[in-house]
Amino acid sequence: MHGAPQLVLLLVVLSDLAVLGTTRLSSCIRIVAAQGMLLGLLPLLLAPQLSVHTVSLAAGTVVVKAIVLPWFLMWAIREAAVRREVEPLVGFIASQLLGAVAVALAFAIASRLPLPVVQHALLVPVSLATLMIGFIVLTTRRKALTQVVGYLILENGIYLFGLTHAERVPFLIEIGVLLDIFVGVFIMGIVVFHINREFDSLDATRLRELAD
Amino acid sequence: MTPAGWTALLILGVAAPVMPGLVVKTKSLLTGRRGAPVLQLYADLWKLVRKGTVYSRTTTWVFRAAPVVVLASLFVAMLFLPLDGRGAPAGFAGDVVAFAGLLALARFALVLAGMDTGSSFEGMGASREVTIASFAEPALFLCFVALVLATDALSLSGMLGTPLAAAWPQAGASLSLVGIGLFVLLLAENSRVPVDDPATHLELTMIHEVIVLDHSGPDLALILYGSALKLTVFAVLVVSVFVPRADLSGPAAVAVLLAGLGAVAVAIGVVESIMARLRLTRVPQLLVGAAALALFAIILQLQ
Amino acid sequence: MTLFAISMALLVLGGVAAIARSRHPASGERWFRLLFGAGCVIGAVPALAVLGGASVPEARLASTGPFGAWVFGLDPLSAVFLLAILTVGAACGFYGIASLAHERGHRAVGAAHLLLALLVAALALVVAARAAMPFLIAWEGMAVLAYLLVVFEHERAAVRRAGMIYLVATHTGTLLLFALFAVWAAGSGDLTFAALAAHPPFSAGRGGTIVALALVAFGLKAGIVPFHFWLPEAHAAAPAHVSALMSGVVIKTGIYGLLRAVALFGPPPPWWGWLVLALGAASAVLGVVWALAQHDIKRLLAFHSVENIGIILLGLGAGALGMAYGHPLIAVLGFAGAALHTLNHALFKSLLFLGAGSVIHATGTRDIERLGGLARRMPMTAATFLVGSAAIVGLPPLNGFVSEWVVYQALLRGGSASDAMQLAVVGAAVLALVGALALACFVKVVGVLYLGSPRDAGAVAAREPVRGMIRPLVGLAAACVAIGLLPIVVVPPVLRVGSVVAGPGSGTVLPGDAGAGAATLFSVALVASLVVAWTLRRAFGRRQPALAGPTWACGYALPSTRMAYTASSFAAPLLGAFRSVAGVRTDRTASRFATHAIDPVLDRVILPAWRGVRAAATGLRAIHRGGLSRYLVYVVAAVVTVLLYLLAAAGTP
Repeated sequence: MHGAPQLVLLLVVLSDLAVLGTTRLSSCIRIVAAQGMLLGLLPLLLAPQLSVHTVSLAAGTVVVKAIVLPWFLMWAIREAAVRREVEPLVGFIASQLLGAVAVALAFAIASRLPLPVVQHALLVPVSLATLMIGFIVLTTRRKALTQVVGYLILENGIYLFGLTHAERVPFLIEIGVLLDIFVGVFIMGIVVFHINREFDSLDATRLRELAD
Repeated sequence: MTPAGWTALLILGVAAPVMPGLVVKTKSLLTGRRGAPVLQLYADLWKLVRKGTVYSRTTTWVFRAAPVVVLASLFVAMLFLPLDGRGAPAGFAGDVVAFAGLLALARFALVLAGMDTGSSFEGMGASREVTIASFAEPALFLCFVALVLATDALSLSGMLGTPLAAAWPQAGASLSLVGIGLFVLLLAENSRVPVDDPATHLELTMIHEVIVLDHSGPDLALILYGSALKLTVFAVLVVSVFVPRADLSGPAAVAVLLAGLGAVAVAIGVVESIMARLRLTRVPQLLVGAAALALFAIILQLQ
Repeated sequence: MTLFAISMALLVLGGVAAIARSRHPASGERWFRLLFGAGCVIGAVPALAVLGGASVPEARLASTGPFGAWVFGLDPLSAVFLLAILTVGAACGFYGIASLAHERGHRAVGAAHLLLALLVAALALVVAARAAMPFLIAWEGMAVLAYLLVVFEHERAAVRRAGMIYLVATHTGTLLLFALFAVWAAGSGDLTFAALAAHPPFSAGRGGTIVALALVAFGLKAGIVPFHFWLPEAHAAAPAHVSALMSGVVIKTGIYGLLRAVALFGPPPPWWGWLVLALGAASAVLGVVWALAQHDIKRLLAFHSVENIGIILLGLGAGALGMAYGHPLIAVLGFAGAALHTLNHALFKSLLFLGAGSVIHATGTRDIERLGGLARRMPMTAATFLVGSAAIVGLPPLNGFVSEWVVYQALLRGGSASDAMQLAVVGAAVLALVGALALACFVKVVGVLYLGSPRDAGAVAAREPVRGMIRPLVGLAAACVAIGLLPIVVVPPVLRVGSVVAGPGSGTVLPGDAGAGAATLFSVALVASLVVAWTLRRAFGRRQPALAGPTWACGYALPSTRMAYTASSFAAPLLGAFRSVAGVRTDRTASRFATHAIDPVLDRVILPAWRGVRAAATGLRAIHRGGLSRYLVYVVAAVVTVLLYLLAAAGTP
């Protein structure tokens, strides 16, 4: 019981690092989908016994994070005909190193946070690492779609942190959060689609031109 | 070092050329061909040692010394590996540095020999080889550091020997990451796909093969045998990390090692069949990825 | 200390002899060679004795002025530096005689020899001084003498500029040293080291200031990033044997200063250790990356000095952390590694600079892009240069490997600690990165300089220099090999050095020789294995004769030397990967590819700051018009200001 969540959490961090090193948008999205699947497994593995709450949380997570959103993003890149993240603001090697530093930082911070005992020792550091890496992706990539991916990773980090209090967080809030990102990503997708039609490019830095 | 260990050393010395043969065979079978026999390299070596040598008029003694240095340093590097899963024939505090130093010495000699020919192709290969090594070396040391943290040992004999078996229960996750990192390094250091393609026939795209273009006859034989030894050495590292064998009896440990080496060779063949070669500018990224894995393994242990 | 005094006297006498017989330079040089050489040998005797475990009584000159007595002494820490100074000094002195011989007609060659002898003596006094006053005097003497030697070819503007940058940097350092000793002694009046050690700064709360001052003051001399900006300029401008001496030992006085300071002030705070470790990592990585970008052989070697200072600092930092966290074993190993690497770097770096000097002498150019194929034309120079290159890269079985191994050991042993010290293990990966990059850089240097075919007429015409310029190289190369083959002989003495720095009681923690015996066996095994492999190769080669032919150019029929891979191209992939810190300008046209290096620190930080200072000074000149009435107004204004201040001070109780 102890080994499985650990494995899942390690895979989450590895998927974070993998996103940082991937140039293809479709691979990025697939990795995030896999991450969503892992996150869906977690409540089942962590809960002392299965309840309606955990099962529905897991099911909701898998449906939204691993199936619907990735499918939607895939649709967006097909429509916008973008394949790759070219020329990120920070190079791939540098962002991977940055990611490694973020992971180190996350573990250092987590060991100093005054938190009550949580279900699994790795939960808090992994959630912090995922948060930070989501933030790195969000800030260092040019393409609006990759930024959406970054936003999703960031949200995954928040979700992981939420798991530490899964027993106490009312069910409705969870559902609300899931709905929130769903709507958020949906809107971003539509915006992305329109940006692309307007500018023939998904370079988010060009959004500044809208300021005039 | 048990008798079983010495026997293993002997077996590996003799059987190293089987490793590349296994890789090629796997690849051939997976792509629907019959492929060359597993023992093909022996035939090649036998043919080469009977041939004469041609030296370029540009070259100096540096060129002639290179194959000898390559072979000698790999011989000595083998001595640091605990082949029976307990202890190595040689070992001292910090011998990982000596181990890495020997690999670097072999590379230094080979690459200088390439530069010695004055050929722009070999210069290019040399440049690529040292570039890749510059990223592989820190990753290798990060793997070693993770092993140091797991086992509290300073020699390869300890890091991969008895203390490693004791460390697996607590540090399993971290050690698996190290093993994966070492496998990536194996691919990079031994010029396998996705870093280099040993089967390529265009000089411009070669890395390792192009450096030895001008070597011929027995010199080339020594270099080919040296490459097989290097592949074996790295495979032993990977197997030792994944399968600590201190609890097995000597002969059993050696048998498991040999089986593991076969498995690694097959794994390389599978990777080569399903992956395309990376663009050269992306190779450092792969190695930085391996370094990030090792760093993560370290972080897990510093907890 | 008697032998030491005799040695100093002989050094000075030798220098004077070189200049006294200026009418007969050849005879003056014979005397210089004899006396200077004897001085170096005699001075090495007590150094070796002390390293072997003997102790030498201190020499004490009663105080004639303020600041206490002048004390000189030799302990293992001084001895290892003294040994480096005298060995490298002798090699450079002898090389200088031969390499400057053709300049006798139009330059003051005798004066150069005198300055060199005095510089070696000043260096020796720096490491032997046991009181602040003689230390500072020798330090300043060293700085000025080195400046005079750097501007030996003063008719070139670049040389004068480099000299000026060096002078400013070194004087800033000296000024900080004055501040350091003033703060430390805090008005006690006794500036002997024994007195300074008696009131350790940390009890008085001035510890932070003092360790920071020491780091900057000695760091300026050692060329730690970001204080390295003067180093490549000065080392490239000086004649080869002076560059060798400067890179080999002059900058090492900065390391000596740091080690001595740690020995005197006891366990430093942890932040200092981490800072040293971080600066070491930065110096090592940036030094080697910047070196990769250079095509001027001397600047390239100078940047490698920055790198090696970084490696030394990694050892020093590990040692300081070991002291701070209470791990005496790590402390001893770290300091020992730093000391041994200092000695080793002195040997191989002077070897490389002298070898580069021979190449420049023979071909008339320092641009490696115009050289090539020199191994056939200058076989001995090439062979010794290759030994030096393999040593600086840290390859077994040479001396660079031994010292890097000790440093690695200190860092890796941190892994077994249970406190924050554990993080130091990551330094091992930095060291590995640096080693691999250095390998790339020296493959570039050796490959482009000595191997392949010549790229220019100058390289075609090159010939081996006179024997006087080869013997020092052979001697230094032999020392590199000897230390590499026999760690068992060198490691125990440097462990003694380490325990001097790490403080009393730390000498007892070592398990024997820290593995030096096994490392010796390893070196021997490697040599044996080389012999076996060589025999094997010979056995195969008997069947057929070796043929000679052209290099296989992949089917192209008319290869020319213009097609040989250039240094720019060779380094390009690595520089591309490090482009954010490499400071390289790329010049790429359809048929041409070249890179040009700039120093990010000097060109982007120091020189603009310098221009700012100059602009401010020019602005100040406006109030400086020369009219008497104006100055009177200034005086009155100043007096009034002081009076007002005093009144205000009196007003506040």
